[in-house]
Amino acid sequence: MSNSRHASRSKSLASRGLRAAWLLCFLATTAAPAFADTRLQVASASVAVDDGVFELDARLDLEIPEAGRRAIEAGLTLELDYRVEIARVRRYLPDDEVASLVQNYELSFHALSQRYLLRNLNTGEQQDFGTLQAALDRLAEVRGLPLLDATLLEPGATYEFRVRAALNLRTAPDTLGWLLFWTDDWSATSEWFAWTYRR
Amino acid sequence: MDVPTLRRAASMVVVGLGGLLWLAAILFMAQTAQHSEQFSRLHPWILMINIAGLVVLVGLLFTKLAQLVRDWRGHVIGSRLKARMVWIFGVLATLPILLVYFFAVQFLNRGIDSWFNVEIRQSLDDALVLSRSALETRMREHLEATEVVAEQLAATGGTSAVLLEGLRRQAGALEITVATESGAIVAVSKGLSSEVVPEEVPGEVLLQVRQGRPFVSLEPQAAGGYLVRTAVSFGGTAPGRGRLVVQAMYPVAERIAALADTLQATYQQFGEKDYLRRPLKASFILTLTVVLLLSLLAAWYGAIFTAQKLVQPIQDLVKGTRAVAQGDLDTRLPLTSHDEMGFLVHSFNDMTKRLRSAREDQQRAQQAAETERANLAIILARLSTGVVSLEPDLRVRTANRAATTILGEDLEACVGRSLAGLGTPDGLLRQFVEACRSRIAAGDLEWREQFTFQAGPSRRILMCACTPLPGEAEGELPGGFVLVFDDITVMLQAQREAAWGEVARRLAHEIKNPLTPIRLSAERMRHKLLPSMNEKDAQLLDRGTETIVQQVEAMKEMVNAFSEYARAPRFEMADVNLNQLVREVTDLYRAQVAGRGVQLVVDLEPRVATVVADRGRLRQLLNNLLTNAVEALEGQPDGSITVATRLAERNGEEAVEIEVEDNGPGFQRELIGQVFDPYVTTKPRGTGLGLAIVLKIVEEHGGHVEADNRAEGGARVRIELPLNETTRAQAANREPRRPEPRRERA
Repeated sequence: MSNSRHASRSKSLASRGLRAAWLLCFLATTAAPAFADTRLQVASASVAVDDGVFELDARLDLEIPEAGRRAIEAGLTLELDYRVEIARVRRYLPDDEVASLVQNYELSFHALSQRYLLRNLNTGEQQDFGTLQAALDRLAEVRGLPLLDATLLEPGATYEFRVRAALNLRTAPDTLGWLLFWTDDWSATSEWFAWTYRR
Repeated sequence: MDVPTLRRAASMVVVGLGGLLWLAAILFMAQTAQHSEQFSRLHPWILMINIAGLVVLVGLLFTKLAQLVRDWRGHVIGSRLKARMVWIFGVLATLPILLVYFFAVQFLNRGIDSWFNVEIRQSLDDALVLSRSALETRMREHLEATEVVAEQLAATGGTSAVLLEGLRRQAGALEITVATESGAIVAVSKGLSSEVVPEEVPGEVLLQVRQGRPFVSLEPQAAGGYLVRTAVSFGGTAPGRGRLVVQAMYPVAERIAALADTLQATYQQFGEKDYLRRPLKASFILTLTVVLLLSLLAAWYGAIFTAQKLVQPIQDLVKGTRAVAQGDLDTRLPLTSHDEMGFLVHSFNDMTKRLRSAREDQQRAQQAAETERANLAIILARLSTGVVSLEPDLRVRTANRAATTILGEDLEACVGRSLAGLGTPDGLLRQFVEACRSRIAAGDLEWREQFTFQAGPSRRILMCACTPLPGEAEGELPGGFVLVFDDITVMLQAQREAAWGEVARRLAHEIKNPLTPIRLSAERMRHKLLPSMNEKDAQLLDRGTETIVQQVEAMKEMVNAFSEYARAPRFEMADVNLNQLVREVTDLYRAQVAGRGVQLVVDLEPRVATVVADRGRLRQLLNNLLTNAVEALEGQPDGSITVATRLAERNGEEAVEIEVEDNGPGFQRELIGQVFDPYVTTKPRGTGLGLAIVLKIVEEHGGHVEADNRAEGGARVRIELPLNETTRAQAANREPRRPEPRRERA
């Protein structure tokens, strides 16, 4: 991670524009809870070769506002996607993308069992936690995520690894999904966390 | 199709498409509650489209309303009617829309709130608690069973597979795992349905168990169903080992799991909806508001559009009517519909078409009448006959130039004035007017009569005819009168002169010729018989023959005078010094009159130039005038004759005037108009041809002569001779009294 760049939080400009227009027009009469920011950034990330496979370890700096926590407890589902990209760095040409991977997680509250369920949508693996923070801590950490076979990277070449996380909220059935437009927006997408790796 | 029609059609297409798009957007937005994922993305854009349509509609509406206000303030035709219609339509559309909106908002609020009322929430919570209680009972049972397993393991001090399998079966667990407090698995017993890889003991379990508290939890499974995880610690017996943890996993019955899943799903959905209740209400109300505003604005816009469509033909009609009132009959209104208004527009167009046709006919007739009138005016102007048209109340309607010339006063300036009072007292016009008025007043509407008027020193004879003009309706009073008159004085004079000329010619022919043989016969008789007769007879014969000879001479003189009157003129026109001629003639008379005690005064204007005239004829004219004057003064003491020449002007032309006056008895009043007629004389020995010859000579020279009595007594004859040769020649040629040259036979 010799050349790492610090990522920062950003929001969709289009979504903000639309929302701003709406706020100007009508939101005076609608329920508009106080806007609270979501903190989402990649705190650290690294790759290591294990048994001929590049594996990713990453940790997020994740903070969900109170409104988001209430929404999860009310039954809404939190989605977190990790997007990993590997590109070969070329001197005079654009980078050549070698591989990309998206890892999807889903966090929801099971009211009957009073447990927070964390599902890896790629593997179907599910874990349950007694507290939301425990679930979020687990969600904010990736360990040994296999990325690609080490032989796919040419020796002597320089590669750039990029990691980005995106947080979103959705309804369990999508019927009322459009109403989320009217709720406080605490979805977020982190900046890319990138570093170079010389094979 | 014309441009306005195309523009209207294009506007209608655009408005129609806009309306359809708006309707589609509304319907699309209304579907957002039923179709989720795609609409979740499109929802804000659909709303934005509706908002954009709203903004456009507001702009259009304000533009139209501003135009309406401007029209109202500018008192544009139809603006008030249009404003009233817009107001009525708008209010009629607004009231029900607002009513529906109010009740719809109420319904939405109450309806959505009713979905989340306390009873449902409480029921769900109760159901959850109940379910959880039921499951917790089972969980406690499973925990107790695990504790039994732990006690038995602690009692036996071993963790052999056989022992563990027996205990698992005894407890009814799916899997029993024995691990150290750090999580290292010591022994595992699994049922056939369990996974091959043993379930590790989670950290939170170990943490709780290490604190000496048993762990039990209900865990939903990714593949469906539930497991009850239990864990307790027990004291180890093996040397070097600490306390161990036994974890047992128990299944939950499928039926109970299904019910739990149903309850969980319901609870979760309700929770979601409850969480989204306020946004849901806001969204519905917003959608409803947008629809309301769009409908409201569209209704107002439609009201304006409809009012405009309804008022437009009326505005066109008013404009067209004004244009027609101002005489523009080419106005054509556009036929925009085929309803009653269209029928009205069609009728208006038909009316203007007929009016234009009628006006064209009238213009043609008027033009023809004007042409006729112009022709008639030209004819009347060139006519030597006087024509005066009168209104029914005898006001002068028209008069031609000849009327002015004949009557001597400008009748064309009297148009519009009543006939009564026209002209100066004793003037020709006044006498003419009174004569005509008396005939018309007597009820004689159509007549023809010859009038003789005394206009100053001259007598004028007018032949006048009156004809009534047709009235507007048959049997009513006449629409006026036309007086046609002609001055026949000169014509009658000419006729008389011609007649007298013929008489003179016959006298000369029939009488003069026998006179010489008579005289010769008388002289022969006297010469032959006188010597042979006795004295008495001789005296008788001598007196008789003397008388015959004298009478023959007298008759011969008379016949010579006739012959002179009838003699055709033989002009020898030359420049004549008038003053010199007057002086020569008066000198001849000066000695004669001096013997009779008559004074002859000659007053000559030195500026009088020469005139072009026949010297001999002018001399005869002066002789006749002086002879008349001398004869008039015969026997009168202190007689005086004045002969004067002056410069004068007649009808804008220069002339010379010769005036001869005396202080004798003057002309008899009753004959003063006939003194220039032949054989009109008051003298016992006069032939009555002197002034007639004077008049003849003056007219031969294109001049003018008049005779009257002086106020202080005596006669006066005034002669004007034109100086201009052209005027003289024209006046002489115009003279009507020379139908043929008369020649006196010698």
